Amino acid sequence: MLQRLLAIIRKELITMLRDPRARLSLVIPPIIQLFIFSSAATMEVKNIALGVVDLDRGPYAADVEQRLNGSPSFTQLPRYASLAAARGALEREDVIGILVLPSGFSADLTARRQASAQLLLDGRRSNAAQITAQYVSAIVQTEGGDLTGAPASTPRPAAAAAMPNADVVIDNWFNPNLDYKWFMLPNLVGTLSLGVALMITALSVARERELGTFDQTLVSPATPLEIALGKLLPPLLVAVVQATLYLLIVTLLYGVPFRGNLLVFYAAVLSFAAACAGVGLFISSLVHTQQQAFLGAFAVLLPFALLSGFATPVENMPWWLQMVTAINPLAHMLRLMQGLFLKGASLAALAHDLVKLMEIAACTLGASVLLFYRKAG
Amino acid sequence: MSDTRSRLRSWWQQLAAIMIKEAKQVIRDPSSWIIAVVLPLTFLFLFGYGISLDTTVVKVAIVSEDGGRDGRDFAAALSSSRWFLVVPAVDRLAGERLLQDQAVKAVVIIPAQFSRLLDAQDTTAQVQVLVDGAEPNTANYVHGYVSAIWSAFLAARGRQQGAAPPTPVNIEARYWYNANAISRWFLIPGSMTVIMTLLGTLLTSLVIAREYERGTLEALYATPLTRGQILIGKTLPYFLLAMISMAVCVATALLLFQLPLRGSLLTLGLVSAVFLVPALGQGLLISVTMKSQMAAAQLGLMTGYLPAMMLSGFLFDIHSMPGWLRAITLVVPARYMNVSLQTVFLAGDVWSVLLPNMLFMLMVGALFFGLTWRRLHKRLD
Repeated sequence: MLQRLLAIIRKELITMLRDPRARLSLVIPPIIQLFIFSSAATMEVKNIALGVVDLDRGPYAADVEQRLNGSPSFTQLPRYASLAAARGALEREDVIGILVLPSGFSADLTARRQASAQLLLDGRRSNAAQITAQYVSAIVQTEGGDLTGAPASTPRPAAAAAMPNADVVIDNWFNPNLDYKWFMLPNLVGTLSLGVALMITALSVARERELGTFDQTLVSPATPLEIALGKLLPPLLVAVVQATLYLLIVTLLYGVPFRGNLLVFYAAVLSFAAACAGVGLFISSLVHTQQQAFLGAFAVLLPFALLSGFATPVENMPWWLQMVTAINPLAHMLRLMQGLFLKGASLAALAHDLVKLMEIAACTLGASVLLFYRKAG
Repeated sequence: MSDTRSRLRSWWQQLAAIMIKEAKQVIRDPSSWIIAVVLPLTFLFLFGYGISLDTTVVKVAIVSEDGGRDGRDFAAALSSSRWFLVVPAVDRLAGERLLQDQAVKAVVIIPAQFSRLLDAQDTTAQVQVLVDGAEPNTANYVHGYVSAIWSAFLAARGRQQGAAPPTPVNIEARYWYNANAISRWFLIPGSMTVIMTLLGTLLTSLVIAREYERGTLEALYATPLTRGQILIGKTLPYFLLAMISMAVCVATALLLFQLPLRGSLLTLGLVSAVFLVPALGQGLLISVTMKSQMAAAQLGLMTGYLPAMMLSGFLFDIHSMPGWLRAITLVVPARYMNVSLQTVFLAGDVWSVLLPNMLFMLMVGALFFGLTWRRLHKRLD
């Protein structure tokens, strides 16, 4: 039994790795994806272009502009004579927003009255716009305090003086600089291995069906169970190799901390890859062509990725979708990766997700082998 | 004269023949219908409900070490906020444990003596906030929420004591095209782009590779069909399939997700048709380059689908990416589609946005089709 199984695994590995191009395609693309997507996947807002309509022309309005200029987040501050002129720029997405400083802005501040300014934002990019609004209000709200370069005789508005001495000290745990890469890279480690493990198994049986070699395997002395295991084990091997590669790149090159236990890491990778390979084999048993297998794999992959917290937090979803994430292996994998890399969570905290992952793996593997048995036997 | 006419007629007949053959192949395969209707519906549904950047309710632990009036007031302000769901914590240690076990997103610590320090003139009262920074976008929202509640708390306290308004400048922020800044409104047009890429690029990437693998491409070469006819015949059925699913997507977006359509349906159709030129072209290019379906599928996933997700401005703002990456996005057709769809849905038929974007899509499409044309030799290797 073991001998036959080993023979099948060897055959599967040879089919997978024979072609030098295929060998490279298992290593190079995931690394390129890691580089590109970790740079792309940022929700920080940088290089902001903000239009300014200065109807005030007073010293405080000039000061606001100067402060925006000094902020590294704003790279372009085109000035427009009127709101009508700025509107076109917003419509063309040349600027993400327009700050309108109304006439009387400086006069109000000089007279220690509350001044108001308008900020018009592009709702087509509402997330970036909301963050821009936070930046602008943080900069403008302190206006009226000290006027940079103003004559020394300018009186400080009374409001600032009446403020009590109190503040909020915010301390970011796990990711002190709120670096988006630190969040994205551990997530990519999980997500990229999902695609590989699922695709390889989903397409493998379908290809043999299409080429007609599947029947040959069936008439060999190998039992269906051995054939199924032979299809399942090579992707696990690939997943472990890739995960090791990612781990090295993410920690050594990007400097993301790894605060957890290596054993837990590999246990997570293996159970996760097993769960995915089980799903892949399940799909493979149901379809006839590679195109169908590919679509089937995709139809599973996308919901897995969307409902995992990879792109947007699980907490933002409606409750009934949050329930679905409980059976999504990627959701558990990502929590494990966040816990292992950034949070250094205790074994007890990780155990919950790890056990869930193993349960899912047992279910998908069991179901796929059963289905395979019925189809092949 | 009659010679050219008959030649033209036979050209059309040949084209019709291969188109019918391809169309039959698509229609007979039940999975095509699943692809055209079921898949887009499911995906749009998942995108619409599953992806949201609107941080709705954040779980926060409050550790109150201060028994004074101000401490209680601030804790009450946090509890009554619609952004926060407060989980009580006995002391700092308990709060920190909740944060580490991913049970809460933030811990607000109101230190002992807070109320007393707030009243005194020469001392500083500090509220400490520990935020789970692992997911920066949510962390930023938590910062914003806490600061807003804090300012409101100070303002209310100041008003009671008759002080001037604490913020000298009041900013009125208004969102054009999306007054409530609902993230779903810009994510759904983006989801449509992803679905269209999936249909346009991924499915066609298998079309010619399949014929290579099965050896039927040689049979196709033996027919009198020209390269142009093969290309058009292979593409058009998928074009129609993609347009049908686009219609399904639009109907779902308008009826289920209540997305406004401020432009016209005609423009929407035009933009979609134009987008399919580069999307299908890319699929065909992959298909003639890779000779196995497996490799074609992987390349399609990597160069078609993933960029449509990550580099199109669907989730991640292109303006915030580093320069070299922004340069790469220039050849991602989904990028132009995203801007166009967001504009047609939310802003209207703004031709100054749509025309340049459609032009870019056509240019990228011409590039892909040209390369495919060059690679599709009618000869056997």
